[in-house]
Amino acid sequence: MMKNIISKAISLKLKFLTLAVSLVLLPMACTDLEEEVFSEVTESSFTPSESDIISVMASAYTPMRFVMGWQGYFDLQEEPADMFVTPTRPNGWDDGGTYKRMHFHEWTETQWQPRNTWITCFNGINSANRVILQIELGELPVSETQAASIIAEMRALRALYYSMLVDTHGNVPIIASYSDELPVQNTRTEVYDFIVSELTEVIPNLSETVDQSTYGRMTKWAAYHVLARVYLNAEVYTGTPQWEKVIEACDEIIGSGAFELSSSYSDIFRTENEGNSEMVFAIPYDQIFAGQWSAHMKMLLPDHRLVFGMQAQPWGGSSCNPQFIDSYDPNDNRLEDTWLMGDQLNASDGSVVMTLRKEMPSIFNCDFTDGFRCGKYEIEPGATGGLSVDFPFLRYTDVLMMKAEALLRTNRSNEAAVIVTQVRQRSFDDPADATVTGAELEGDTTVQYGTLAEDGTIDQPGDQSVVPYGRFLDELGWEFAAEARRRTDLIRFGVYQTKNWYNHTPQGDHTILFPIGLEERNTNTNLEQNPGYPQ
Amino acid sequence: MKLASFLFKECLGTNRFKKLMLFSMFSLFMAQAGLSQQRVSGTVTDEQGIPIAGAAVLEKNTTNGTATDFDGNFEITTTGSNPVLVFSYLGFVAQEIPVQGGTVNVQLKEDLQQLSEVVVIGYGTQKRADVTSSVATVKSEDFVQGNVKDAAQLIQGKVAGLSVSAPSGDPTEGTQINLRGTSSILGGTNPLVLVDGVPGSLNTVAPEDIESIDVLKDGSATAIYGTRGTNGVIIITTKKGTTDMKSTIEYNGYASLSTIADRMNFLNADELRQKFSEGYTFNGANLQDFGASTDWVDEITRDAFSQVHNLIFRGGNATSNMTASLNYRDIEGIFLKSNNERYTARVNVNHAMFDNRLKANVGVILSEQTFNALGDGSSFNPYIYRQAIIRNPTEPVRNEDGSWYERDVYFYDNPVAYIEETIGQNRYRNTRFDFSLSYDFGDHVTVKGLYTRKGNSNIRGFYQTKDHVSTTKNGQGGFASRGTDDYVGNYGQFTVDYDNNFGDHKVTGLVGYNYEDNTNEGFWATNRRFPTDGFTYNNLGSGQGLQLGEAGMGSYKNSDKLIAFFSRVTYNYDDRYLLMASLRREGSSRFGEDYKWGNFPGISVGWRVDQESFADNWDWLSNLKLRSGFGVTGINAGSNYQSLSGLTYGDYFLNNGEWVRQLVPSRNANPNLRWEKKEEFNLGLDFGVLDGRINGSVDYYNRTTKDALFNYSVPTPPYFYGNIAANVAEIKNTGLEFLLNITPFQTENFEWTANLTYSTNTNEIVSLSNDEFQLTNDFFDEGYTGEPIQISTHRVQEGQPIGNFFGLKSVDITDDGIWIIERPDGTRVPATEATNDDRQVLGNGLPKAYYSWNNTVRYKNWDLMFNLRGALDYQILNFSRMFYENPTISYNTLDSAYDLVYGKAVLQDVQRYVSHYVEDGDFLKIDNVTLGYTLPKDAIKFAQTFRIYASGLNLATFSKYKGIDPEVNRNGLAPGNDERDKYPSIRTFTLGINFTF
Repeated sequence: MMKNIISKAISLKLKFLTLAVSLVLLPMACTDLEEEVFSEVTESSFTPSESDIISVMASAYTPMRFVMGWQGYFDLQEEPADMFVTPTRPNGWDDGGTYKRMHFHEWTETQWQPRNTWITCFNGINSANRVILQIELGELPVSETQAASIIAEMRALRALYYSMLVDTHGNVPIIASYSDELPVQNTRTEVYDFIVSELTEVIPNLSETVDQSTYGRMTKWAAYHVLARVYLNAEVYTGTPQWEKVIEACDEIIGSGAFELSSSYSDIFRTENEGNSEMVFAIPYDQIFAGQWSAHMKMLLPDHRLVFGMQAQPWGGSSCNPQFIDSYDPNDNRLEDTWLMGDQLNASDGSVVMTLRKEMPSIFNCDFTDGFRCGKYEIEPGATGGLSVDFPFLRYTDVLMMKAEALLRTNRSNEAAVIVTQVRQRSFDDPADATVTGAELEGDTTVQYGTLAEDGTIDQPGDQSVVPYGRFLDELGWEFAAEARRRTDLIRFGVYQTKNWYNHTPQGDHTILFPIGLEERNTNTNLEQNPGYPQ
Repeated sequence: MKLASFLFKECLGTNRFKKLMLFSMFSLFMAQAGLSQQRVSGTVTDEQGIPIAGAAVLEKNTTNGTATDFDGNFEITTTGSNPVLVFSYLGFVAQEIPVQGGTVNVQLKEDLQQLSEVVVIGYGTQKRADVTSSVATVKSEDFVQGNVKDAAQLIQGKVAGLSVSAPSGDPTEGTQINLRGTSSILGGTNPLVLVDGVPGSLNTVAPEDIESIDVLKDGSATAIYGTRGTNGVIIITTKKGTTDMKSTIEYNGYASLSTIADRMNFLNADELRQKFSEGYTFNGANLQDFGASTDWVDEITRDAFSQVHNLIFRGGNATSNMTASLNYRDIEGIFLKSNNERYTARVNVNHAMFDNRLKANVGVILSEQTFNALGDGSSFNPYIYRQAIIRNPTEPVRNEDGSWYERDVYFYDNPVAYIEETIGQNRYRNTRFDFSLSYDFGDHVTVKGLYTRKGNSNIRGFYQTKDHVSTTKNGQGGFASRGTDDYVGNYGQFTVDYDNNFGDHKVTGLVGYNYEDNTNEGFWATNRRFPTDGFTYNNLGSGQGLQLGEAGMGSYKNSDKLIAFFSRVTYNYDDRYLLMASLRREGSSRFGEDYKWGNFPGISVGWRVDQESFADNWDWLSNLKLRSGFGVTGINAGSNYQSLSGLTYGDYFLNNGEWVRQLVPSRNANPNLRWEKKEEFNLGLDFGVLDGRINGSVDYYNRTTKDALFNYSVPTPPYFYGNIAANVAEIKNTGLEFLLNITPFQTENFEWTANLTYSTNTNEIVSLSNDEFQLTNDFFDEGYTGEPIQISTHRVQEGQPIGNFFGLKSVDITDDGIWIIERPDGTRVPATEATNDDRQVLGNGLPKAYYSWNNTVRYKNWDLMFNLRGALDYQILNFSRMFYENPTISYNTLDSAYDLVYGKAVLQDVQRYVSHYVEDGDFLKIDNVTLGYTLPKDAIKFAQTFRIYASGLNLATFSKYKGIDPEVNRNGLAPGNDERDKYPSIRTFTLGINFTF
C-alpha cells in the first residue's frame, strides 16, 4: 500500500519533471556551438565562379589608390621635396608636427606617410601572392593560358609595388609567395635585382593590347615602363647606372606605337582622362566607386568650394614653395595649368572670393591665402571629397623624358634636347620659346636654392654648387609637378640630400631612405632599421 | 530534444539521483507522521512594541509555519516533540524560542547588520551570514533618489569598489561602471546585468520598479556566471507581490529641472570687441565684428523639464500573487531637441499548486523608447555643441531676411541652424517573455526550468533639410537616412537544487544547464536630392541621389551562442565554518573550433569567529567573519566570427569600363581564439560591534587577467590585415575596499545612519606578448587628440598601469610665447624643436582611490539623505583648454587664452598636446541630497503611506580641475580624456511624491 503511494507519487513527479524539462529545453539546441554565418561567406564553403576571378585579382590592384589618398604616396614623394609645403595655418595644419618633420627630413619611425606606403605596398604584394597561390592550387576556374597570363600580370604588379618600396624603404623583405612565414629582410640591391628579373621574365606573357580592357592593368608596356624607371634609378639603388637599359626599355614602348603625346597638357589631368593617348598605367578613381583621391582637399582652400562650385569644403593646407614658382619661364603655360594663383573667382557670379599670393612667410606661420595651390587636376562642379580624375601613374611623356635623361647622361645631349623640345612644344604659344639645347640641359638648375627668411629673401644659401644636368631636373619639375615623384628625381640629381630650400636644410645621406616603421619592426623581429636611424 | 534526453541520462537517470528523491520522499513522510501536537499563540512586536505584520513563524526543521496578521498575532500547532519556533522578519534578527504550548510574545530586534537578509547569488539566494564571497546589497530605501539615468545610478557611491559615473548629460546615455579596475582590454568594464535572473541591461526595467540590487564582486562569487563574470555581476530584483499580500497600488512620481552643470568661459561679444580694441587680430571665425551679440551656448540650450510616473499594482492570496507596473518617463536634455521618452510595462504572475510544490511564473516586460536624433541614428551630435562654443559671438543667428547667417570658414556652421534644420527620430521596442516552472520534491530537492524570449527592434529616421548646410554649403539637395535593427534572443536554464541539514552540517547543492542564443540583423539606406523638404525621411525613393550614385544602403545579420553546465555546493558547519565551491563549463560559438569550451571554478571559505565558544563572552562583538575566495571568470570575444576565415566583396575595381567589387578576406582569422580568463583571489573580513551599531567589511583583491583579448598588430604579410584578435595580454589589478556602516544615533524620533566606502585600485599591464605574438617594443600608443593636433594621448606599456598620458612635458614658455619642453633627460628645448622621442609619462587617467560618505537622517516624519562622493589621485587631459586656450587659433577662444602662461607670456604657439593641459582630477561632490516628509499614518484615509520629497543630483563639485566636470570617460585604453565637445554633465532638481493605497 505504502509502496504503491510512493511509486505513484514518484511517477507523478517524474511527469512534472518531464513537462518542466521539455517545456524549457525544447527550443534549445544541444551543445552545438558551430557559428552560423549570414552576411559574409566562409572560405571553406566558397567556390569562386568565373566572374569572381576579376574580383579576386582586383584586391591586388585597389591598394594603388592610396597614391592620391590621405597621407599616401603623393605626400611621401612631395612633402619632403622642394615643391610642396604644408605650413601651419590659422585653421591648424600643425598636426602634431607631421608636415614639418617631412619638410625638415626629421621623420621618425612613427611617421605615417612612409608607414602607409609600406603597409599599402605589402598589402598589394600580399594580395598578388594570394591570387597566384589560388591559381596554383587550382582554386580559380581558369584555363592554362589564362592562368599563365594572370600569374604574369600579378608578378608584374608585384614588381610595381616593389619599385615603390625599393625607392622609399630600400631594404625590404622580398615575399614571393603567400605563406605563414615571417618575412626576412633583403638588401636594396637584392630587391632591385628581383624587380628586374621578375619583369624581364613575365614581359613575354603580358598583354600588348592598349584599350579599355587593359586600362588600369599591367600590360607589357606598363611593365617596360616600370623596368625603365628602376633602371633610371639603378645608380641610386645599386651604385651601378643602367642608362642603356633605360633606352632599350623606353624604345620598346615607343616602338609599340601604342601611345603618343597628348596634344593638350591639361587634357591629361581632366576628369574624363581615361583613354588619353599618354596613359601607360592609370590608377582609376571615381567619386562614387573609388573615392580615395583626397589630395585636392588637402591643397585647396575651404573657399575654393565657391570657386569650383564643389559639394565638399576643402581643408586648405599644402601650397607651392615660392622658389619653385620663381623657376618657371613666364611663357610656360604649365605654370598656369598647374597652379592656382592670384584672384579666385566665384563660379556663380565671377566676384573675387579671395586672392592667393605666392609668398609663404614660414612653415610655422602662414595665412590661409599664402602660397599658390595645385590646380592641375580638374575640379568639376559638384566635386566631392573624392576626385574622379584617373591618376596618370605612368604616362608616355615620362617614357620620352626617361630616354632623354639616359641620352643626356651618356653624352648625347643634343638628342635629348630634341625630345625635351618636343615635350615642351604643347606648353608654349610660341614654338621658339619651347626649344632647348643640349648645352642648356647640361647646365645648372634655375631654382634658387637656399632657405627663405619670412620676407622671402634667402637667408641661408647653403650648398650653392652646380647641379649636374640641373636644367633637366627643372624640366622634370615643370612637366611632372604634383605627380608624386619629385623626391625620387631630387635624389637622383643629388639635390635632396645637399640643398637648402624654403625652411629645409639637408640632414644627411641616410634620409634618401625612410626608416622602417616602429609597428612594422615591432611585429616582425627580422627587420633591421635602415642605416642612419636609431636601431 | 536531444539535450533533454541527454540531461535525463546525466542527471535523472543516475542511481544517485533516484536515491536523493527517495530520501526526500522519506523525510517528507516522516515529518508528516508527527509525534505530538501543541497549540501556541502570541504576538510579535518590534523593540518599540509596534506589532509586526507578516512576520514568519516556523517550527524549526519542519515546513510547518505561519505568518502574523495585521496586529502581529499568530497561532500555530507544533508537531515535534521538542518544538522550537523561529520568528523572523526581513530587517530583524531572527529569534529561536523553545515552546511547550501556551502563549509566546516575541520582541524582534532590528538587524543593523542585515545578517538575516537574503542575498541574491548566482542561480539562488543565501543568507548574508552564510556568504563567503564579496557581495554587496543595496535595498530600494537606500537608493539614490531623483532623476536617475539607469539602475546603476541608484547605487552610485553605495558599493565599495564599484565606481558609477555619469560623464554625459545626454538623456539617452547611461552610466559608466567600473568594478575593481580595468581587467580587460577589449571586454570593456560593463558588468553582467541580470534582471530577475535573466541577462538584461540597466534599462530593462525602470529604476522605480526595482526592489534591490546585489553586486557580486569577487571571482569566487561570479565564477558561476563564467562567461561575463569578470566585471562583476549586478543582480536586479524587481518589486514583487508576495503570498498573502494585501492588494496595493503604489505611485511614484516626480518632476525635474535640469541645467548645464557648468559652462566654459569663452569670449562673449563684449569681450571680443575689447580684444579688437586692444589690437588683437584674428583669422577665421573671429575675423571681424559682425555687429550682433549672441550667446551661442544659450541659443542651443535650455532649462530641461522632465517628468516620471510609476505605478505598481501588487497583491496575492495563498496560492497566487501578481505584480503589474507601468512606468512613463519623459526626459528633456539641456540641448534643444535633446530628449528621451520611455514607456515600460511589466506584468509578473506567480501561481502555486499541489501544496505549493509546483510553482509557475509568467512574466512580460515591454518597453518603448523614442528620442529625437540630431545625428544620423544618435541623440546628440557633438559637432553642433562644438560649433556653439567656437563661434564668433558677434555673429547674428539669422540674416535680416530670416535666413540662417552662415560664413565660409573651415568646419564652421551655425549651430542653431544645424539643430533647426535637422529632423530625426529613433524608436526602440523591447520585449521580454518569461516562463518558469519549479517543483519542490519536499524538503531537499527542487527542480526548476526557465525560458525567456527577448527581442529588441528599432527604427530610425534622419533628415537634413535644404536649408541645412549639407545643402546650402555642400549641395546635397536634402539628405535622408533610415535604418532599422532587430534582435532576437533565447535564454533557458534548467537547475536542480538540493538542500539538507545533518545535525550541525548544512549542505546545499546545485547543478544546472544554461543556453543562450542571440541573433542580430538590420538594414539602412540613405538618399539625397529630394524634390521637397515635405517628405523629410519618409519618402526615400523620391530623392534622385540613387540614380546619381549618391545613395547608400547596407544590411547585415549575425548570431552567436553560449552554452553552459554548472554546479555548486555550499557547506556550513555549525554556523562557524562555511564553504562554497562552484564549477561552470561554458562554451561560446565565437571561439576557435578547438577552444570553444572553458572551465571556470570558484571556491570560497568563511569562518564566523563570533560563533566560536571562546567568543561567547565578547558581548561587544556581534559579528566577525573571515572570508577568502578564489575564482576564475571569463570574457567572451567581442564580436562574432573572428576565428573563421571569411570572404567579403569590398572596394570597387575598374574592369573593362565597369566597376566590379574586389573579393578579399574579411579578417585575419584566428582559429586559436579562446577564452580570456581572469583569476581572482579575495580576502575579506566582516565585522559588527555594539549590536551592529558599527559594522562593515574590508576586502583585499588580487586579480590577474590572462590571455586577455586584444586586436594585436601583426606583420603584413604574412597576415592579410594589420591586426588580429588574439589572446595576448596579461593585466593585474589589486585593491582594498572598506565599508563602514555606523548608526551614531538611534531613538524613536531621531535616527542617523552613515555609510562610508573607500576603495583603492592599482593596475599593471604585466605583458603584451605571448609565444605566438611578440612585440619588439613593449608598448603601443592609444587615444587621439583629433585634428588639428593629431597625435596619440596615451601609451600602453608593459610594467605600467593602463591610462598613462604620454606626451611633451611643458615646463616654461619663451618670451615669444612658445612652449619650453623638458626632455626625459632633463634638458630643455622650445617645443618647435621637440620631437616624438621627447615624450614622457605625464600622469594617469584612472583614479587610484574612490570614496563616498552617505548619510540618512530621520527625525519624526522627516527624512534627509545626503551623499558625498569623490575620487583621488588621477589626471585629466583638458581638451577644451588644449584646443581653445590659445589666442592664435581661427575660432573663438577661452577667456583664459590671453592670460600669461607661467606668469610670463601669452601663448603664441600652435595648439599642442603638452603637460600644461594635464590637470589633477581629484574631486569631492555633493552628489545627492534628498529631503522627504512622510505624512502621519492617519492623515490621508485611503493611503497607507504618503511621502513627498525634494532632491538634487550633482549639486556641487569641489575640484581644482578647470573643466566642466572631473568625472570623465574612464573606459578603454585612453581614460581621462575630457573631449572638447562632450555632452556637458547636468545638475538636476527634483520634486516627487510616493504613495501607496
